[in-house]
Amino acid sequence: MKTINKILNISFTILLLSFISCSNEEEEEQEMVVLEPLKSEQVANFAAPQTGGMGQPIGGEFSKFDFVTGEKSTSETDWDIAFRGTTICINGGTSTGTADEPVRNGNAGAVIVAGTFDSVTTAQGLSFSQDAEGSFAIPTGSDNGWYNYNPQTFTITPVPGKVLVFRTRDGRYAKVEILSYYLDQDSSNTRGGRYYTFNYVFNPNQGETSF
Amino acid sequence: MSFEKNILLPVFYFFSTYSFCQKISIDSLKTTNLKEIILTATRTPRELSSIPLPATLINKKQIKDLGAVRLDEILIEQTGINIVSDESGFEGLQMQGISSDYILILIDGVPLIGRRAGNFDLSRMAIGNIKQIEIVKGPSSSLFGSEALGGVINIITDEPKTKKLNGNLSYRFGSFNQQDINTDIKQNLGKFKFNFFLNRLSSDGYQVESETDPRIFYPFRNYTLHGKISNDFSNKLTGLLSFRFYDNEQLSELVFNEEDFEGETQENDMNIHLKLDQRVSKNFDIDYELYFTSYNAEELIQSVLSENILNDNFFDQKLLRPEIRGNLKLKSKSNFSGGIGYQYEELSRTFFDDNINFASQYFFIQGDFYLADKMNLIVGSRFDNHSEYKSQLSPKLAFYYKANKSMAIKGSVGFGFKSPAFRQLYFNFTNSSVGYTVLGYNVALDKLDELIDQNQIQDVVISRNELVSSLDAESSIGYNLGISIDEPKWKLDLNFFRNDIKNLIDTRIIARKKNGQNVFSYVNFDEIFTTGLELNFSQKITENFNITAGYQLLYAFDKVKMQQINNGEIYARETISNKTIELSNKDYFGLVNRSRHLGNLKFFYSFTKSKLKVNLRFIYRSKYAEFDTNGNGLVDSYDTSFINGYITTNISAIKDLSKKFDFQLGISNNLIDYTDANTPKIPGALGFLKLTYKT
Repeated sequence: MKTINKILNISFTILLLSFISCSNEEEEEQEMVVLEPLKSEQVANFAAPQTGGMGQPIGGEFSKFDFVTGEKSTSETDWDIAFRGTTICINGGTSTGTADEPVRNGNAGAVIVAGTFDSVTTAQGLSFSQDAEGSFAIPTGSDNGWYNYNPQTFTITPVPGKVLVFRTRDGRYAKVEILSYYLDQDSSNTRGGRYYTFNYVFNPNQGETSF
Repeated sequence: MSFEKNILLPVFYFFSTYSFCQKISIDSLKTTNLKEIILTATRTPRELSSIPLPATLINKKQIKDLGAVRLDEILIEQTGINIVSDESGFEGLQMQGISSDYILILIDGVPLIGRRAGNFDLSRMAIGNIKQIEIVKGPSSSLFGSEALGGVINIITDEPKTKKLNGNLSYRFGSFNQQDINTDIKQNLGKFKFNFFLNRLSSDGYQVESETDPRIFYPFRNYTLHGKISNDFSNKLTGLLSFRFYDNEQLSELVFNEEDFEGETQENDMNIHLKLDQRVSKNFDIDYELYFTSYNAEELIQSVLSENILNDNFFDQKLLRPEIRGNLKLKSKSNFSGGIGYQYEELSRTFFDDNINFASQYFFIQGDFYLADKMNLIVGSRFDNHSEYKSQLSPKLAFYYKANKSMAIKGSVGFGFKSPAFRQLYFNFTNSSVGYTVLGYNVALDKLDELIDQNQIQDVVISRNELVSSLDAESSIGYNLGISIDEPKWKLDLNFFRNDIKNLIDTRIIARKKNGQNVFSYVNFDEIFTTGLELNFSQKITENFNITAGYQLLYAFDKVKMQQINNGEIYARETISNKTIELSNKDYFGLVNRSRHLGNLKFFYSFTKSKLKVNLRFIYRSKYAEFDTNGNGLVDSYDTSFINGYITTNISAIKDLSKKFDFQLGISNNLIDYTDANTPKIPGALGFLKLTYKT
């Protein structure tokens, strides 16, 4: 898997912000924590195969992703989100009842925010949902969740302006923008589907909501 | 294609022979300005030049000059009219930016039925028996009710004129082995008149020979028979019987999942029109009319080798309409008219559980007043009561003012509506390969409950109350304001138009299925507008040389989408960087399949001595988009489904060989061989030869 590292070192900015916010609070003793920098990356051609479809029962293992490593995960526990076809499940909530889904053992949550990727600067105040019996936190189906299906060209297109914000399994935050569902982002080859390319920004500091 | 290359040679030979020996005789064509009469604008015979509405009339001579075979070929050359393919590939008319669903098609004043997803297939209509085609733009529901939201096209068929038994026989041969045979026979014996018309059209079809180009047109053959008989029972009572039959058969071949399939489509329609015209007094007459029409289509696509059936569909529609109309002539050309009628419609088809029928009752009144000799005012309204949706009132007001000898101003405001289509109310369709479901509004709740009982539904995303009240008719208000100048040598018509359409019916998601797909149903939500101007100009350069030019400027947008863009709720992705950006209004291209500019330029020349008439016509359509490609639900400048603007060129020549024979040849559709994989109407240059014999 090809990943492009674009690590933004904005820890200085965060430090500065924490000085400003702390200076108003007189009672509490300042505790200087050096925050880890935000991780801003692009994941290309993340394979999300499925079996069945086109009227047949859908199945197959979900491809898990771990924001901490920024890689595909095969662990039972160390994963945050997982992909199979156009379906995205999260490591939080309960079993949805779909075939071959992974066991959820974390406390992940998800919400879709409208905006450009840059305009989503915090996860504060968002209300996260979790996978539950009969429903995914990222809704499935054309125009319900992250994608639109075009029946003229038979293509899946990520709806522009849908930013997926996740709480990870252990209470960190990440924002994701899906760019393409096709191998090498070539949607003209509809047989090359089920390969995600997405940008994400991950805040590795537990409880920190800023992006 | 070798045939097309060969056909160019006689064309050039034809022109070179005659163009060098031309001698124009000045006094040959004495133009007697025959008054053109239009029936559609007011449902009474009216002089075209004094009609306060934007109206066009195409006469028999103009139709013949084009050398066309079907109605669509004629209409696409008219200013402001376009033929477009919808998302399912069905072709239909577009007028003032309003699509085929909202344009009523009439034959001798009575409606034609049988639409595919709202599109009326104009290539069903033979043209050999057409006397004139009348086009009225803008809402005309005040006279015609549903479907006349964007305008009306009325096909007026031939009337026998001479006492002598006479007729025509013509044979036209064109590219792809297209063969068109027309014959008619008619006689006017004073009290008793008849005419019969028969047409046969067939073609081997075509397939553009390339892997990437999907355009294909399958072989077909069809027959049209039209007969009209009328008799004066007394000098106060005339009876008319008109009947028309159309039968079409088309064969197809396709490969699906590496299996060969063969398909057969049968299509037929029938019209029976009975009319009694009673002249009660010199100034008052009553028409009693009974009309029945049916349209039937069946399609079967099955495997060549196995028992597999890919498609087995049928569509069977019927309409019955008795109507009584009265017309009272007042002083000084003014008149007062009205009518009352009942309409019964029935449809049974694949994906409907039951045979569905609609009933409606209606009446209309209209005053056509000459306030002064120079000023005409038309006030009218129609009331429609329908079994399936709220009743509709459609008023209209139009004025005409002759400012001086050559200039006139005209304007109109009218309401239009279209009743919800059968499929929007009763569809029950599940796509077997993808798994989504589409439900008609009236059956949505019941069918949804069935799906819930079958444990197929994940969640219902709307409130059930939203499916209880009935769906509204789609409705519009249209405004037209124009000026026309009629000088001896030239003529100009300019018309500004605006149509505001609300309650447009579209699909929306009502529930999510456990298979990840959606359940759709119909709802009134879109509000759109179309606005622009239309310009028509004609100039007589010499007695033998005419030029006409036409142009339409069009802006067609969805108001809801514009508001969403203003609110910053719509995004797009930049082409190269793939970065999401907020869309601005200047990036919103407008509704699909609408070209901002439509134009035509036509030259007509007649060599009087050699009895040869030649014409050259250019038709232009600017860039348009077929559908949204970037998932934001509208067409913007970042989408990739744009078709670039193009010009088609047509040429034809008619030579009178004798009083009884004439010979026509030409290249229709496309002289310069323009082709684009995305424009199915244009298979490349099509040549033809036609021979006509008349008695």
